[in-house]
Amino acid sequence: MIRREQVAERLALNAPLAVAVLTDFIRDAVETSGTQGVVVGLSGGVDSALAAALAARALGPPRVHAFLLPYRSSHADSAADARTVAEQLGIEHRAIDISPMVDPYFALEIPENPDDPAGAAGRRGNKLARERMSILFDQAKKLGCLVLGTSNKTEILLGYSTVFGDNASSLNPLGDLYKQQVWRLAAHLDLPARVVAKKPTADLWPGQTDEDELGVTYAVADEVLYLLFDLGLRPAEVVERGYEEAAVRRIVQLEQANRYKRRLMLIARLSGSAINLDQEIPRD
Amino acid sequence: MAGIPSRLTVGLAQCDCRLGEVEANLERHLAWIERARRRDVDLLVFPELSLTGYRLLHLTPRVALAAGNAALDRLAAAAGAMVVVAGFVEEDRDGQLYNSAALLRHGQPAFVHRKLYLPTYGIFQEQRFLSAGRRLELAPLPWGRAGLLICEDLWHPELARSLALGGAKLLLVPSAAPGRIGGGEAPESAESWELLTRSAALLNTSWVVYCNRVGWEEGSFYSGGSHIVRPGGDLAARAPYLEEHLLVAELDLRDADRLRWKLPLLADDRSDIALPEASR
Repeated sequence: MIRREQVAERLALNAPLAVAVLTDFIRDAVETSGTQGVVVGLSGGVDSALAAALAARALGPPRVHAFLLPYRSSHADSAADARTVAEQLGIEHRAIDISPMVDPYFALEIPENPDDPAGAAGRRGNKLARERMSILFDQAKKLGCLVLGTSNKTEILLGYSTVFGDNASSLNPLGDLYKQQVWRLAAHLDLPARVVAKKPTADLWPGQTDEDELGVTYAVADEVLYLLFDLGLRPAEVVERGYEEAAVRRIVQLEQANRYKRRLMLIARLSGSAINLDQEIPRD
Repeated sequence: MAGIPSRLTVGLAQCDCRLGEVEANLERHLAWIERARRRDVDLLVFPELSLTGYRLLHLTPRVALAAGNAALDRLAAAAGAMVVVAGFVEEDRDGQLYNSAALLRHGQPAFVHRKLYLPTYGIFQEQRFLSAGRRLELAPLPWGRAGLLICEDLWHPELARSLALGGAKLLLVPSAAPGRIGGGEAPESAESWELLTRSAALLNTSWVVYCNRVGWEEGSFYSGGSHIVRPGGDLAARAPYLEEHLLVAELDLRDADRLRWKLPLLADDRSDIALPEASR
């Protein structure tokens, strides 16, 4: 049975082959849908940088449209890093400040609440993510493009995303890559070192980092998820391999609590031919 | 062996397919046949379910073709003197559906193999939508009798063994094998397949011709890497991974005879003493 020190090796990827497969995925999706290209929201982080880089390789830079969608509290480095990525890839990029769209709603419904900082921040963060999604899908319609998803396997499994926000897309090349694999592919494609090395953050409020919020490091989360999800080990069997019990429990709890985000349409079945349950029709 | 030619030029049409679009796939098949004709191909093999695409799910009955249908007739007529193996969803007279491969010869369908092992695990759902074939027969080719096995059929080695014992020196294996990648040079899925085809060529002292497809269905890709293995297990030729390709190679079926004279695995076969439990 697998030992802890063998797990990292199992997560190794042949980077050139992975890039070849993922660019083919993007090319095929765009061609078969008869669309012009993709739009992608660039956050300044490594996931969206990698997705954009794959798309630029797959389709050629002119068919990739990047959008920087900052809110007034977003870290200034985020937009700067996003610009650096777009310039390196040679893709067109446009910034749209979402503050004027969301601030009136915040003023009405979600004022800063000192008694409930986490709840308010969470709601505001979700609203930002959904505003961005709404703009990306509108721009996709305008440009005749698909929305490129940028969620990786770690965050999808942990549910570290906003439903119908950043988890919404037309196609997602990163959804079967754990975070460490994203980092490795990003380095392989020579994306800016700053972007690859920086601490992952959703940048939904100042000082936020993914790992603080999740309560585990990506290094541990990736390995534990691989053992639980890919290999089907039980939580106790993961702990036996030397992972901290509290971390494993946290990961199991997040994975279970967020399964609904991976199967979004919940339809009440009345007939014998309910969509997706009785009638599984391929989307392609 | 007098009168029966032993050399033939085989072509593997490592193609992409349009899911659920028989007419579009048929047009593509006709173009591949023309391409193969220019390369003097005698026997052209298409992947599993090449006329329909693989991951059909509830579309399966909508694309099923009865024997003697116009699409296969058109394909056969276009093939002419070329022998062609193409995959389709077959509907029998009782309305049962099968994952089938048709062998077209002399301008008409000459033989059909219905897939015997329908994988229903992991990403595969074939038993939900298809019936399993019930017969294993040798396919009549101008170069002698051959075995025709579809994808998962090769993972159950008694079938290839039985075909080889029955006289096949050539095993044709159309496939739609989803790709997976890891740290290795080639797709992991392709490495498993090559281990399997090479073992089959060694243990059955036969040629193995494996035609996989490329392209994407519902976020899953087919890795290509179609290949031909000599009797004994050496790789004779391989198509590239991930892209459409017509792989052409010349085979001499006498190579199987020559190996069998030195390595009489089939002559020494004692299947009769195997598996006493199963024969009860």
